[in-house]
Amino acid sequence: MTLTWLGRAFLYVAFAGAVGGMLTQVRAVFTKKKAPALLFALWSLLGVLGAVGVMQFALITHNFSLAYVSANNATFTPLLYSITGMWSALEGSLLLWSLLLALVTIGVLWYYRSDASDAVVQWASVVLFSVAAFFLGLMMFPADPFLHNPAHVLQGAGPNALLQDNPLVAVHPPLLYLGFVGFTVPFAFAIAMLITGRVHDRWPLEQRRWTVLSWGALSLGIILGAWWSYQVLGWGGFWGWDPVENAALLPWLTATAYIHSVIVQDRRGLFRVWNLSLAIATFSLTVLGTFFTRSGVLESVHSFSSSTLGPLLIGLFFFSVAVGVGLLAWRGDALRSPVGVDHPLSREGLFVANNVLFVGFAIVVLLGTVFPLLYEAVNGNQVTVGTPYFATIAAPLSVLLLLMMALAPLVSWRSADAGVLWNRLRVSAWAALLVAGILVALGVRHPAVLIACFLAALAAGAALRTLRGVIVSARRRGHLASAFRAPSTGGMIVHLGIVILAIGIVVSTSYTKRDEITLATGQSTVVDSQFVTFAGFHQVKDSLEEATQLKVVVDGHSLRPAVTTFNGRDTTVGTPAIDSNLLRDVYVTFDAVGGNGETSGAQVQSNLPAGSVVLGVTVEPLLSWLWIGGLVVGLGSGISFLRRRYVEDPQ
Amino acid sequence: MTLLRSFWLWLVAFAVVLAIAVAVNPSAPSNSTRIAHLESLVKCPACEDLSVAESNATSAIAVRHEITQDVGSGMSDNKILTTIEAQYGPQILLSPSTSGLGALLWVVPIAALVVLIAALLRLARRRRA
Amino acid sequence: MKRVVMLISLGIFVVIIVFSVFLGTRQPVTDATDANSPLLGKIAPSFSGSTLGGGHWSLRAERGDVVVINFWASWCEPCKVEAPNLSTFAYQERNRGVAVIGVVFNDTVAGAKAFDAYYGSLYPSIVDPGGAIANDYGVESPPTTFVLNKKGRVEATLLGAVSVAQLQAVVKRVRE
Repeated sequence: MTLTWLGRAFLYVAFAGAVGGMLTQVRAVFTKKKAPALLFALWSLLGVLGAVGVMQFALITHNFSLAYVSANNATFTPLLYSITGMWSALEGSLLLWSLLLALVTIGVLWYYRSDASDAVVQWASVVLFSVAAFFLGLMMFPADPFLHNPAHVLQGAGPNALLQDNPLVAVHPPLLYLGFVGFTVPFAFAIAMLITGRVHDRWPLEQRRWTVLSWGALSLGIILGAWWSYQVLGWGGFWGWDPVENAALLPWLTATAYIHSVIVQDRRGLFRVWNLSLAIATFSLTVLGTFFTRSGVLESVHSFSSSTLGPLLIGLFFFSVAVGVGLLAWRGDALRSPVGVDHPLSREGLFVANNVLFVGFAIVVLLGTVFPLLYEAVNGNQVTVGTPYFATIAAPLSVLLLLMMALAPLVSWRSADAGVLWNRLRVSAWAALLVAGILVALGVRHPAVLIACFLAALAAGAALRTLRGVIVSARRRGHLASAFRAPSTGGMIVHLGIVILAIGIVVSTSYTKRDEITLATGQSTVVDSQFVTFAGFHQVKDSLEEATQLKVVVDGHSLRPAVTTFNGRDTTVGTPAIDSNLLRDVYVTFDAVGGNGETSGAQVQSNLPAGSVVLGVTVEPLLSWLWIGGLVVGLGSGISFLRRRYVEDPQ
Repeated sequence: MTLLRSFWLWLVAFAVVLAIAVAVNPSAPSNSTRIAHLESLVKCPACEDLSVAESNATSAIAVRHEITQDVGSGMSDNKILTTIEAQYGPQILLSPSTSGLGALLWVVPIAALVVLIAALLRLARRRRA
Repeated sequence: MKRVVMLISLGIFVVIIVFSVFLGTRQPVTDATDANSPLLGKIAPSFSGSTLGGGHWSLRAERGDVVVINFWASWCEPCKVEAPNLSTFAYQERNRGVAVIGVVFNDTVAGAKAFDAYYGSLYPSIVDPGGAIANDYGVESPPTTFVLNKKGRVEATLLGAVSVAQLQAVVKRVRE
């Protein structure tokens, strides 16, 4: 019982800190005095840290007096998966969310401590504290992570099998949540700017920094999630257009639009109202995403169990959008910029097209995700909206986006001159044509692959050309290191990462070959020019799991696909094995065993002789390029976060 | 060489590559491509969102055999999909049929595109004036 | 200009209200299926037996309470998932006119007792020699849960592992 009360006490402390911070900041704004926001943020953070500490203690010591621990932990759960158990289910994941929000709040308030008496910072603090109070409130009532377990349980259920299969569970959720939580900051400042009416000074441009950081974390989080699914789920794919996956994609799309259109605001003072709307939309979509994940209204492999959080989260979504729209309606007209877009094919024009594509895609993804609910409400039947729909929309959009990545860095501001553009484009154009020509000569005819590789080469060319220009001018000024913090360096590196990603996605999805082969012990075969040998069985039994592993040799490398049964929940999952290199991934699954072979949960096919197995072998070219591209994107966004403010730029 | 001339040179080279790509092209929609395409449109009955092409569940394998048989016996793509839908229910298709409410899924993106382009044209015209 | 801004804002506002209300009123996908069984609406077959703890239990004695009858087995995987949920629910409702009783389905007494001890069940479970009770209730595979109203009529049949939220929702419905 003590742990329950201790944990809850810390939550109440944190809640009091958030509410106190909110109230004192409101008072400070109206009395025009300074209030110790940092102090309240620290108070709240300490409360959350205490609660996290209690939960981690309970998980690591396998203390089953907490219902959460008995449902997600067992005495034989290894340390890593005990720690990550904090976010493997609903209530605990809210603890992670609150922790990251408290850290982000204190970080931002400390960064702006010298502006603590500025009304914009004060209103932004009010919003940050309010959102923190909301999530803490959720944990205090409907989703209590410290619920006491009245039964004297000797053993817990252990984590969900798929959540203890791979160490990526330690990195994907925290990065993802950091991204989500980070978007609260631009939202808070957007609200603050609208309330105070101050959209003309430095505050809009400051938000770029926080958005880039959150965007980078979210991008890495999404890529790692895809990598994790790929390694664990067994079908060789990495993205299923699952409602929860889409929920993470939606704010990513609007945030990408925001990052680009804020560059235009930076340079020419345009799109002020639009950018504020995007900041509000991104945060609201984060809340909507949380709703989809936690309300249970949409079935998904990722969603947490159903709960009463649904209406509350939708309430927060509605409130955020309503406040945002209301403020925009009140202030919006006074904030319109006096100048406009001069030419549709100028850089501003292309950024407008960029925004149209990203926001349009977000609307379509939202529609596709919510459509099954709408259909069921109208017709009473169930319907599925899956990959074919989303892929059909995504394909032409991606082609257009690649094209714009190829043109926008080379196009001038305010004007469009075909001659100037062609001059800058020439080298990339010939390089891209060479790439396409080589592919055609090699016999590649898939239109998607040809178009994608051609445009990807063009886009890479534009990025490289810009980077070269930055390095040359930095060297000319005698300060090479300044190239690192130049305005476009990070962004162009991100573009290069996206190009690598795009090639990886298009090539792997166009040329994936799936096969089911039957091998007796010691037998070999060739699958899509990969030499595969089955070398025998290997049984594993320890405190954590019981598994039947197959010794498979692919191209000289040893793989162990298996069927694993985790103790505790007694669920059996297939564990795929992957041989990966720069050119291709070979994905092997243990599909069935012949005769009366060792089962340990594997499917038995009695028409096959004992000692033989059925292996699923999928060969996917260039799949590793996805993870490499993702890494480059993360790197680029980190560099972009550090970039000099435009005002300081000596050019 | 002037800019214009260099552009035409590139365009000619582009056309050549395009011509080769299109001409020396073996693709007639063979049976196996049709089967693969159909398999990507049907959900595995026991899964959340995997297609029968991607899943190795027994029910998925059964549906794959059915599709292969139907294609072999000359049924049209549409007929195959409607038959499977009749057997397993509308949620078996990964992309809802475009009749009825499903049309919304395609109408909305196209309408949104039209609206956005119209808004942009108005914006552009107003700025120029 | 101001009017256009107001109109667009109003339009977005209306869309968001409709959207939020629509999503807020969706029911979560439940864990166990609320199935149509032939017993629905009928008086539940009465039964009694000895509990795993050595005592005695009879359905007739529970008339006037809402009764949750859960058929389970130690070899049944979803039963392991729902066991803590049933205990939590039983404990929460122990003074609120809800009785939870487990019935062992096609299992050994030793196995059932071990399961019961392992999960620290907070509700009694009776043995079903020969599967007579399961037969009366038409139970084909565990876990199957029946919820009876205060008059002893079967009001819900749930197939699959139940969650606390689902039990609360169903019992609330049955109480009215």
